[in-house]
Order: sequence, then C-alpha cells, then structure tokens
Amino acid sequence: MATATSLSKLENPFSAGALKSLLPQPCTLVIFGGDGDLAWRKLLPAVYNLNVDGVLPSHFAVVGFGIASTEEGRMAADPDEYIRKRAKEGITKFSRQPLDEDHWNDFARSLFFVPGSFADMAAYKKLQAKLTEVDHLFGIPGSRIYYLSIPPQLVELSVAHLRDAGMVANPGEETAFTRTIVEKPIGRDLESARGVIRAVDQAFAEKQTYRIDHYLGKETVQNTMVLRFANSIFEPLWNQKYIDHVQITVAEEEGLAQWNFETGEMTASRIGYFEGVGALRDMVQNHMLQVLCTVAMEPPFSLEANVIRDAKVNVLHCLRPMSPADVNRNVVRGQYIEGDAFGQRVPGYRHEVRHYFEKFVKKPIPPESVNSTTESFVALRVYIDNWRWADVPFYLRTGKRLPKRSSEVAIQFRDVPSVLFNANPDIPLEPTVLTIKVQPEEGLSMRIASKLPGPKVRIYPVKMEFNYSSSFGGTSPEAYERLILDVMAGDATLFMRRDAVETAWEWVMPILDTWQQERVLNLPEYQCGTWGPIEADRMIEADGRQWRTL
Amino acid sequence: MNATAKPAGLCDPVEVSLHDVEQELSRQLRGLAEAEHGPVQRVRMSNLVVYCDREELLQSIAAEIPKAVAVHPGRVILLVGESTPGSEGITATVCVQAHGQGHQHQACSEQVILRAGGDAINRLSFAVRALLIGDLPTNLWWAAPEPPPFAGLLLHELGEPAQQIIYDSLGWREPAKGVAATAAWLETVERTAGGRWRVASDLNWRRLKYWRRLVAQALDPAFDPDLTPSISEVIVEHGPHAVVQAWELISWVAQRLGWHVLTGKVKPGVEIGWRFMGPHREIRVRIRRLEQGPAELCQIQFTCTLRGRPTKMTLVPDGELRLAITFDGMDTAPRTVTAPRLDLAELLGRQLSDRERDPAFRQSMEVAQVLARSVRG
Repeated sequence: MATATSLSKLENPFSAGALKSLLPQPCTLVIFGGDGDLAWRKLLPAVYNLNVDGVLPSHFAVVGFGIASTEEGRMAADPDEYIRKRAKEGITKFSRQPLDEDHWNDFARSLFFVPGSFADMAAYKKLQAKLTEVDHLFGIPGSRIYYLSIPPQLVELSVAHLRDAGMVANPGEETAFTRTIVEKPIGRDLESARGVIRAVDQAFAEKQTYRIDHYLGKETVQNTMVLRFANSIFEPLWNQKYIDHVQITVAEEEGLAQWNFETGEMTASRIGYFEGVGALRDMVQNHMLQVLCTVAMEPPFSLEANVIRDAKVNVLHCLRPMSPADVNRNVVRGQYIEGDAFGQRVPGYRHEVRHYFEKFVKKPIPPESVNSTTESFVALRVYIDNWRWADVPFYLRTGKRLPKRSSEVAIQFRDVPSVLFNANPDIPLEPTVLTIKVQPEEGLSMRIASKLPGPKVRIYPVKMEFNYSSSFGGTSPEAYERLILDVMAGDATLFMRRDAVETAWEWVMPILDTWQQERVLNLPEYQCGTWGPIEADRMIEADGRQWRTL
Repeated sequence: MNATAKPAGLCDPVEVSLHDVEQELSRQLRGLAEAEHGPVQRVRMSNLVVYCDREELLQSIAAEIPKAVAVHPGRVILLVGESTPGSEGITATVCVQAHGQGHQHQACSEQVILRAGGDAINRLSFAVRALLIGDLPTNLWWAAPEPPPFAGLLLHELGEPAQQIIYDSLGWREPAKGVAATAAWLETVERTAGGRWRVASDLNWRRLKYWRRLVAQALDPAFDPDLTPSISEVIVEHGPHAVVQAWELISWVAQRLGWHVLTGKVKPGVEIGWRFMGPHREIRVRIRRLEQGPAELCQIQFTCTLRGRPTKMTLVPDGELRLAITFDGMDTAPRTVTAPRLDLAELLGRQLSDRERDPAFRQSMEVAQVLARSVRG
C-alpha cells in the first residue's frame, strides 16, 4: 500500500494505486481550430459528455484557438461568447447525450476562445496570457493539452510557434505537463508523413505526442483484445490452421457531398479534403490497418502502452509488400456514379467534384480534378507473412455511397471436412463466422451450424448475437470521449506511435506509386447504393470466396 | 399472496409453484414475442438475489428493480422472509420485464419473487440455488437494515454461491458497532474460496464516489503541495442516517494521508470527534449530524493554508448535479465536478457491474474499525 509518507511531494496520495485510465489530470485542453468542423461535431460534444458523466477533473478548462471559421465568429465582439454559442449548437446537434441547461452552464463557464492566426506569433502571446488567466481562475497547475485539429500543412508552423513562445514544457514534467494530440491525416504519403512527424518532434517528445485514430477508441475495437486474450476458446484457433480468411469492411452510405434534394443544392461537402486523397489514404492507411493490427497481433506480454504498440507494429512489419503486378492482382479501386442513396437519386463523384468547385466554393476546378480519378472505393487482398497468418488472406474493403453504413471484422473459420454432415456437396455447410461489429451497432455475433428440430437431420446456420446497447444498457461513450480522457490521464495505449505511422505508409506507398505510374483515365465504376465495382467481386471470387452481405 | 405493484415494462406477475417457475417465464416470453410481433431476447448479465426482511421493504425495492436492470440486465430473485402467522411455505411470483428496445430485438429480463414465512425462511437458499442461471455471476443484495455480520446463517447460505455481496450501511442504528463488526466481517467474507472470487460492497461507499473524487482533486499536491500538510481541522456535516457515510469518508482521508487516531469522543445524535496525529501536525476532525436534510453528506470543510494564506476550503453541493470547491476570502472560480445524484436503483445497477475489489475501501474500513474502537473505549 502506498502511504502518504512513502510518496513524493507531488504525487497525489488519494490516487496512488488507482487505475490510471480513471484519473484524468487537471489541465487545460487547447483546441487549435477550436470552432472548426471537427471541434464542432466531435470534440466539444465529447468534452461536454465527459462533463455530464462526471469524469472531468474539477480543475479543467477548454480554450479554442484560431481564426474563426464562420463569418459570425470573425465579427464577434466577445470571442468567449461566440465559442459558447457555437459549441452549444454543435452539442445540441451532435452530442450523444441531449443538451441539459444546467450541465451546459457549468461547461460553458470554463470554455474560452482566443482568435488569432496560427502564423502570427503575437497570437500565441495572447493565447499564453489567456492560459495563465485560466490557470489562475481554475487552479490548473499550468498543464496543457494542445489538440491540433488543423490541416496538416499548418502543423509545422503551429508547433514551431508553440515552442518558440515557450509554451511547451520539458517532457519529464509530470505536473505542469504539455501534451499534444495530432489528428489525421498524418501526411499524404511517406515523405510528408515524416515531415509532419519531424515537425511535431521539434517541440514535443514522443511521450508527449498522441497521434489519434478514433477507430481505436471504439468499444468493439478495444473489445477485440479482450475477446482474444480474456477467453481461452479463441486464441488457440486464431491462426492459419483454423481460420480461412478475414474480412474487414468499412462501408459508408454517405458520399462526399450532402444535397438538398428539393433544391438540388449541395449543402455540405468533404470534397475539398478528399479529392486527390482517396479511400486508400483516408481509410486504409490508418483506420483499417490499425484494426487489422488489433485482430492479427501476437499476444502482448503486458498491457503497458509500448508493449501493445510493439505487438501492433510487428503486424505492419509482416505485411507482404506489393510489386506493381501484385497491386493489379490484389487491389481494386472504384468510383461511384449516379445511383440511389437514402431513397433518392444522387449524382456520381465526378459530378460532385465539378459542382463543388464551380458552385459550392466557386473556384476554378484544378486540371487534375476535371476528370477525377480519386477512388471512393478500394478493396484489397492482404497477406501477413508470419507463422500465425501464413497464406490467410485478409480482405479489406471500404467505400462511400455503399448500400448502408456498416463496419465490421469477420473471422471466417475453415470448412469442416467433407465427411459426416458436410458429405453432401449439394448443400455445403456454411462455415463458422465470428463477426466483430464496429458500427453502427457495436457487438459480436457468431454463426454456427445447428440441427433443425425434427426427425430428419437438417442443418441450418444460426446466429448468436451480443449487442452492447441491449446487453449492457445505456449508451457507449463516443471514441473521442475515451481518447481525450486517455490523453488527460497520460495513457498512450490507443494512440499511434511514429513507427506505426511510418510503417503503414511504407506499406501503402507501392500501391500509390503504381497508381501514379499507371495514369488511368477512368476507374472501375459502381452505382451509388451498390457494394462496389464488379472487379472487387471478381478479385475475391477468384479465390473461391465471396464478400459478406452486411 | 400479497399484491405487488406492477412497474412499467413488467408483464402481469403470476403466482406459480416453485416447480413451474421456468415454465411460466418461458410462457410469458413467448406471449411477449407474440404481442411485439418480433423476436424477444433474454438479456442476462448476472443473477441478482435480493433479500428483504419484510413485505413493505420488498414493495419499495421491487419498484426500483426495473431501473436497476435497465443499467445491468439480469435475472432478479427477490426474497422476502417475514414471520407472519399462517405463512409457513414458500410461494413464487414470476414476471418478465421488457426494458430496452434494440434495433432487432426486444430485450427482456426475468423477475422471480419468493415469499417465505416461519421455518421456510431458512429454506430460501435451497429454492434460490434451483433458480440461479449457471455460468453467470451471482450478486446478493442484503437489503435488510441490519449490518451483514449480524445476519447469521441465512446470509451465510444465501451468500455462498455469490461473487458479490452488496449491503447498504445507510441508516445503521449503531454505527460504531456496525462499522467495527463489518470491518472484521469483510476479512472473512472476501476470499477466494475453492477458487471462487467474492467481494463485499457497501452502497454507501459508492455514494461517496464523487465526494472522494473531489477531495482527491482539492488536495492534489499539483495544485498546492503545501495545502495538505497544513490541514489542522476537518468538519464533515451530514444529514440524518448518513453518519456511516461520513465515517467512511474520514477513514479514507486519514488512511490516505497517514493520520493516526489519538482519541475519539461521541456526543450521541450530535457529533463524533477525533484527534489525529498526521505526519506534520495534530488534526481535529468532527462529523456533525444536521437535524434536517437529506441522508447524505452536506459539506466538508478543511481548515488549511493555500499558497501561504490561512483559509477554509469547503466542498459543498452546487445545485442538484455537481459538487464544488470554494475558498474563503479568495477570488477564484468555483471548481466543480459533475456528481449525478444517483437513486438507489442506479446505484445498485452500477455496483452490479463493478465486481473488482476496491483496496481503498478495505484499507479505509480497517481505519474505520480503529476509529470505532477509539469511541467505544
């Protein structure tokens, strides 16, 4: 037992021995891009929910920083009132828990905004002065978390100014600590990713840097480790001897633009970010490879953050590299064309790109976007060349404007031998499948063969389901809630280490390079509301397998 | 049979013989599936056995159960043992509760009420064994008002298959006696018997969760390392029936800060005081009972110095939803933590999911026992 006398002067005697993840430390969360889209939709609602759930420390505040993203913000006489109004709108619209005036008032009084350009050193002085004032007001010991919710090209500049303004503490400082959260995308290729990493490195040590991938904060992704390592039944089967293949799917029903179907106007769009980036960079390089690592990693020898991260990065090291011929054989990209979504006729991607530039942002369309070859869909056949996974294909697919929003990992076990119940080739037994459902519902299901009641032996597949919301009651916290709390507690387990980011890019680069060299004029097409191009079906069917119906 | 009020979401309770309990539950589930025109899923995270010592208590607890199982679904077996004339056997009343609407399933849990009188009370544990669902954790909630160490063989037998025994020290009539006996009882009940894990949990300790969190943050050395060593007096005020809560809080503070009790004194119904010796100075602690108010802590006040200035740091409820730290004579914003006021059902629901031993509770109860000795002489 830790006693008051055996602790250092700055160690809290009340929390000694308690679970680290439950102990967010007093701090100010400084959000760069504090009124931007991510902050509005995700970050401020996440912090509000943490406040409602009573897990924030008493000594805590949020300060937004940046040039206001709205006209109203740029004209606002009182920046604090502006961010409170903007946050309230976002929380009302996007929060997991409904806005409660009493909780809101408590949250709002610790919410501030400092307007200023990331390029302007004087703005950092203003920010620093505000943070000192907030420290005094809320009894915060000078500890800060800088959440860089800004475009990648601004990261280097912002970090350098933070350093030059003396706003970054020594990495060994435990009380008045400084940490930074770096949002994706971390670069658009290996070189630019290394550039972002180096830029952050100039001011922050690796232990102060939290590279966020919100997929890793989802309950079911975390539960994958529990499923594998807290149940003795699965791990002995978790290898090439018993598993036929794995499918990882991230399907989105939304496209890159939202439309008012009555007026035909584009109401919102992510094309400015997505065009020229594509699904491989947007989803596979980060989210899907991280999920793959969680599914395929070797058992870590402890739950310590770096041990788990070592185990994950080892999977990335084992990914079979792709030659140009391999890329053509193992990767299919596609682009959606006009079709149906949400019961409405919706335009194709190229139409959306043109409309975006000509009518939405009213800028000349870049030459490379005139007939865009940015992929909105990608499917891959991936191999992990190690003892456990030798020759087990991992099929990854992700796309926009697919029939529904659904993300899952499906582990398909090998067929039973063609004897006994599987002796009749006319009715092959459906293989056993374990499915980890990530969204929209979180849970697990297992398909097994069962005898139908009656005198004859008739085998029928049945599905055993476990659903988080109905089994455990209540609502699961959003991924951002968990991840922000982890940063406050100094727990880096669910964040990407620099070597993981670089190794993922190293594996993806040959695919991007091959595409770059091929310079195709048109990608395989798929109608909105279908499961991707026919080429993706052919790829998996060539192996005698099929994509799962979600 | 005594009528039980039917909370929302419950099917009509049906009295059946012990032998027919499972059959009746299945029948009600089938009926619910037909009424809902869709599949019904039994959701069961654990068995919850609740013991009440009188019908009136059963009624009030039965009303809370639907909310508790909404947080932690499970099979609930409510027991009432009441020695009333003419009640010698065990009767069973069963019903199914629909408590959540998933996207594909109507989620349901099951409730069985067993009423026993006379000698049959001692046979309740046999009836319970037959109704427990295997492969699920079993929680026993000892809802009777007497402290568990004084409950005798019945608690021992009901608790035998349980992985968690939950009790509530709120309203104990003889706090010092109850605390001392319970601290000793914890030693014997929390064990790994035959490979089986068992933990004992006090709902009153859970009620202190947010107070403890706030105290920990208020006294965080990161905020001012000299604040905690400067504490010379602590006054805890509580409403009627909440003396054990205040006692547990002081035991926890003393244990964590390395304070050793010197003397203790009781003014019955008014105040309990202790003198402690800390690593740096002597500390006076008083827990005061307010004549009126809710059965919970009302205020904690530390006499201390903050950044060299003498002050009183007060932790108080700030409205219905949070607790706040304030300082006498200092110009600072109130520091608050959200402290949702949990009713009994929510408190229970959360405790059911929390099966880990809490070393802070065990260590605090050891100190609580020493404090009890100091006032009992």
